[in-house]
Amino acid sequence: MFASIIASGLAAGAIYALVGVTYNTMFSTSRVMSFTAGQLAMLGGVFGSLFTLKLGMPVLAGFVLTLIGCAIIGIITEFVAVRPVLKSLDQHLYVLSTLALALMIQQVAAIKWGTEPQPFPRLIGLGNGVWDEKFWLPVLACAVTIIALEYLYRRTLVGRAFIAIAEDNFAARALGLPERGLRIASYALAGMVGGIAGYSGGELLLAFFANGALLNFYGFVPVALGGLGSNRGAVIGGLALGLFQQAANFLVGGIFSSVAVFALFIVVLLAKPQGLFGFSTARRV
Amino acid sequence: MNATQELISQAKVHAIWGPFNSGEALATTPIMARAKMPNIHPCVVESLIDTTKFPNAFRLAPSNNQWDDAVRNYCLNILKVKKVAVIGDTTGYGVTALGASVAAFKKDGAEVVYQANIDSTQPDMTPDMLRAKNAGAEVIVVWSVSTGMEARMFNTRAAMNWDVAFAGHPSMSSGEIAGLVEKPENWKKVYVIGYRSCSYDSSGKLPAKSQDLVDRLLKANVSVKDTLLWWIADGVDAIDLIAKAIEASGSTDGEGIIKYWNGLSKYPGYFGNFTFSPTQHNGYLTEEIVMSEASTARNGAFNLAPGYG
Repeated sequence: MFASIIASGLAAGAIYALVGVTYNTMFSTSRVMSFTAGQLAMLGGVFGSLFTLKLGMPVLAGFVLTLIGCAIIGIITEFVAVRPVLKSLDQHLYVLSTLALALMIQQVAAIKWGTEPQPFPRLIGLGNGVWDEKFWLPVLACAVTIIALEYLYRRTLVGRAFIAIAEDNFAARALGLPERGLRIASYALAGMVGGIAGYSGGELLLAFFANGALLNFYGFVPVALGGLGSNRGAVIGGLALGLFQQAANFLVGGIFSSVAVFALFIVVLLAKPQGLFGFSTARRV
Repeated sequence: MNATQELISQAKVHAIWGPFNSGEALATTPIMARAKMPNIHPCVVESLIDTTKFPNAFRLAPSNNQWDDAVRNYCLNILKVKKVAVIGDTTGYGVTALGASVAAFKKDGAEVVYQANIDSTQPDMTPDMLRAKNAGAEVIVVWSVSTGMEARMFNTRAAMNWDVAFAGHPSMSSGEIAGLVEKPENWKKVYVIGYRSCSYDSSGKLPAKSQDLVDRLLKANVSVKDTLLWWIADGVDAIDLIAKAIEASGSTDGEGIIKYWNGLSKYPGYFGNFTFSPTQHNGYLTEEIVMSEASTARNGAFNLAPGYG
């Protein structure tokens, strides 16, 4: 039982963490909480199954096409649901616009892909029991993604430009950084991170349109717990959420495990509203 | 609900076949009753049929009580088990079906050692299967329409090296499960509600009327590989009944359609022989319900479960 809790808890937690990173990546260059993050992960599973299983492509080709597809959806999110509301961020219209787009994505997936879960192919074929690839693949994907993002942000010009836009939008524009182009690029990147979450978690979650809403919510919890904008917080929050959820599932049952998760969520936010790794910002009055 | 209201007020349909999920029907049945809309549906939850509250609603399938009776009889009298686990999903159907099933098992002297409603998106079924195993379950009765959840349970059973039987909802025999189980043998020892009209006899033959339907479907290139024949048969019967009601009554007036349906006695459909009356709108005969071996589908029909005949 303990081994099952660790294996499935870390796997689910890694997927939630990657969705949290998707939220953060979109937030960093636009100050917008885009509720399409979970749907991007859902599409990672759906596209992965479509390209790799239904169309019979090699795993690598299917993975690349999945990333491209999710990147395109990320860019569409920026154009359709984010750019029009950027001037009214204080009115929080992005909640409506991104949620509306998320629902549209979900319904199109339900109509075109189907409302029943579809199989996701076995990608590598390594491991069984608690060492099955459906448990270790999301964890590996999360680790590789975080390392790659750290390299991008710290060692590349584009990554530093993303950080500049996130820290001070006006100053970055004043220095001549192409804010709009960088924002589009970051939404494409966020789409790919979501796609990685869905593709690596496909064997666990299957290719199912209803995963979008589930991942939207459970991917948001690490962001809230870890602090908005903190990828480190999202990873730690996501893994902790996955482990806690699985432990509660084993101990009290599926329905009550959701109660346990939300109860913990409320307690943490009451104690630290800015999240475990977030910080309060002073405001001049 | 919006779609139902749209069909009634804007499309102004003359009769409605559906919905196909009890949770949805719980919401739409009162709307159709207010509009006196002739309605046939295959949803099984008991409360959907009430000739006083919903005189316009007719069930063209067994009720959940009939399903429950068949599964319980199979578990207690043919499999001869005493300790059962009952699992449902979290839809309106799953919650009501589980409650009714647990009560009926207890009334018949069985011990319900584990019961749970599980979210169909839950990725790992190990916790619930472990709890059922540790409680000593000798059969797992499933009331869910979620093929994903069911396939996960079959795979988890195999991973646990547990050979407990599953019994219950016909969705466990749906062709979609073939692609979701990790190995074909994970789908063995799964017994589901079936129907004589859609079952192969000991010589491997379907009843003549059912074979005729299968032949028509195959000739029209309609794939029955990943669905259930009874779903198709029930749909054909429903549309035929609407058409015949309009023909017999001479108009599309709802009152005439309902009056025709109320007068049916052993109407020979593809799915079954239906009988309705003004005080009985559950049209399917209990003796036509059987249990099937879930993984034996050919053209959406099944072999009878072991010990059943």
